[in-house]
Amino acid sequence: MMDALSDLLGGFADALTPVNLLFALLGVLLGTAVGVLPGIGPAMTVALLLPITYVLEPTSAFIMFAGIYYGGMYGGSTTSILLNTPGESSSIMTALEGNQMAKAGRGAAALATAAIGSFVAGTIATLLLALVAPTVVDLAIGITAADYFALAVLAFVAVSTVLGSSPLRGLASLGVGLYLGLVGTDVLSGQERFTLGIPQLSDGIDVVVVAVALFAVGEALYVASRLRRGPVQVMPASGPYMTREDLRRSWKPWLRGTALGFPFGALPAGGAEIPTFLSYAAERRLTKHPEQFGRGAIEGVAGPEAANNAAAAGVLVPLLTLGLPTSATAAILLAAFTGYGIQPGPTLLTTESTLVWTLIAALLIGNAMLLVLNLPLAGVWVQLLRIPRPYLYAGILLFASLGSYAVNADPLDLVILLLLGGLGFLMRRYGWPVAPAVIGLILGPIAETNLRRALAISGGDLGVLVETWFSRIVLALALLALAGPIVLRAVRGRRSTPEELQEGARLRHREDEREVRR
Amino acid sequence: MTGPGAGRDGPAGATRSDREPAAPVAQEFRGRNTGELVMTVALGALGVYLVLDAGTIAVPGSANTVGPRFFPYLVGGLVIATALALGYRVFRGDRGPADESEDVDPTAGTSWRAVGVIAVAFLAHALLINVVGWPLAVTLMFGTVAWALGARGIVRPLLAGGITSIVVWVVFVKALNVALPGGTLLEWATSWV
Repeated sequence: MMDALSDLLGGFADALTPVNLLFALLGVLLGTAVGVLPGIGPAMTVALLLPITYVLEPTSAFIMFAGIYYGGMYGGSTTSILLNTPGESSSIMTALEGNQMAKAGRGAAALATAAIGSFVAGTIATLLLALVAPTVVDLAIGITAADYFALAVLAFVAVSTVLGSSPLRGLASLGVGLYLGLVGTDVLSGQERFTLGIPQLSDGIDVVVVAVALFAVGEALYVASRLRRGPVQVMPASGPYMTREDLRRSWKPWLRGTALGFPFGALPAGGAEIPTFLSYAAERRLTKHPEQFGRGAIEGVAGPEAANNAAAAGVLVPLLTLGLPTSATAAILLAAFTGYGIQPGPTLLTTESTLVWTLIAALLIGNAMLLVLNLPLAGVWVQLLRIPRPYLYAGILLFASLGSYAVNADPLDLVILLLLGGLGFLMRRYGWPVAPAVIGLILGPIAETNLRRALAISGGDLGVLVETWFSRIVLALALLALAGPIVLRAVRGRRSTPEELQEGARLRHREDEREVRR
Repeated sequence: MTGPGAGRDGPAGATRSDREPAAPVAQEFRGRNTGELVMTVALGALGVYLVLDAGTIAVPGSANTVGPRFFPYLVGGLVIATALALGYRVFRGDRGPADESEDVDPTAGTSWRAVGVIAVAFLAHALLINVVGWPLAVTLMFGTVAWALGARGIVRPLLAGGITSIVVWVVFVKALNVALPGGTLLEWATSWV
């Protein structure tokens, strides 16, 4: 533990140079600005800004990335508070009460509790990451290829069945991602697979192209197909910043949100969506002002927002220690790491020790910058929300083109971008979640390598996959994650939507009422 | 692995969607159902392609380890099983709710025209980049997309796209050394930098 602290201090020493601070500031500003734009979630923010970091050397690039990562998260919450429309799943819960607060003229207080909550949760969770990571690495040194394969299977199943409305559609999306990951030259045998004889495909489909296509181009096409016409309605960030009363009501939700968010982020459990749900439900139950829920209760912003950011830091635990991405954003971060020839995994903390600790220090620095910048800059972000939508989505496509073309300077990448963007559009249209495809694409090849390594050692005996207790337990969890939602749905009916949770989880009653009315 | 388990929740899901109020949006439902079936069939076709094409991957050297075909077979199997289970569910009336987003009007019908125009504009810009340079190609794309999304006028979208693309090009090419063809005119005009 003391080692971790001294390593972290070393990280601060590396991160606190003027140039690196400048990159952190740039990352935070860019991340927030892009994250604030409606229709752009944290994953798309990171994917769109990834090419910018290509020209930097790794340390500066990761410092900038740390800022982009937390800035994108923060920007998303501003959007959901000030736009009265649903956004990405992890900030829906923030939006429920945040919208109501903004409507009631307390927008500034909602933004403030979100900002300070993000800061508190981000700081605690990043420190936890620093403390936990070395321990996890110690445990991870002993895991076998079969264990790793089991972990990958768990991540696949969790992301596919937990996110989105339908586990089957999640699996469908995962399958598409696994297929895209197979295209190219097989690393172990050197054979071309599914390249259709196109020479450019023998290197595989670039991860940046796929991520930008599914997120940015898919979203632009989807929004274009059903654009909300008329003037954009942005609620003002009005009213006083936090009063003493607000602070008194916020600090416990911040801490509870952090406690919920970090472990859920750190486990392969589908990222930030579930802890924000749980945090909202917990605050609703524990509040002394239940009458305010649904009309702008500050606890309902403070808790989920803290949970969201704590989960974002928690996601970095499996990413840095195991090389295991458990959210779409983490998958893109993993792609960024490998772009620099750095392979996250149990050895990362020893081989790239300086880089990792600088990254963690940069996360803490970026987090503090966000707090200082965002309260005064709220007005600027509000202006960004007013960008006319035709220009916004045309601009997203412009930057998508830039990012994908810059990778290989090959127009074919742009054609692939468009085709996959069309796929992303159809997936959104028919309720297939996009995140499993991105996870499948990036984690698929890693899973395959470990599977084949395990089977090579055992001489092809599949029993090796359940040889250790670790892999048995993890595979059992995966089975549970696969069957759990199905059983739960059969027993309880479908999962409650955020709006129903806001009204007090009267899910069954609503369906019954509907029956009666008919 | 997924087939039987996933199929089990079929009846529950079907009952649920039977309960949805149907009358006012029945037309929309029918259209969506065809689309869902197409998606499912496409998924099944992908699975079949994976399995068939996996059989043609050359397996070099000793056969005693697991070769490059194993995982594709596994993925193909997973995709086919998912497609079958999903097809069963869709036939029973299960529908995936369309994604929600800040700028999406949940009550609007799909405007295939806007999607088509944007797709063509994007394809055209991909083919034009190496001919006229990135800034000009992307400006035309920007203008067309903004027009398709309902921006007023023609000059303003083109102007906005032109300024953005030139600024971005100068920053990325001159300051960050990214390879991006600028087109003859712009490259000549900035050759002194």
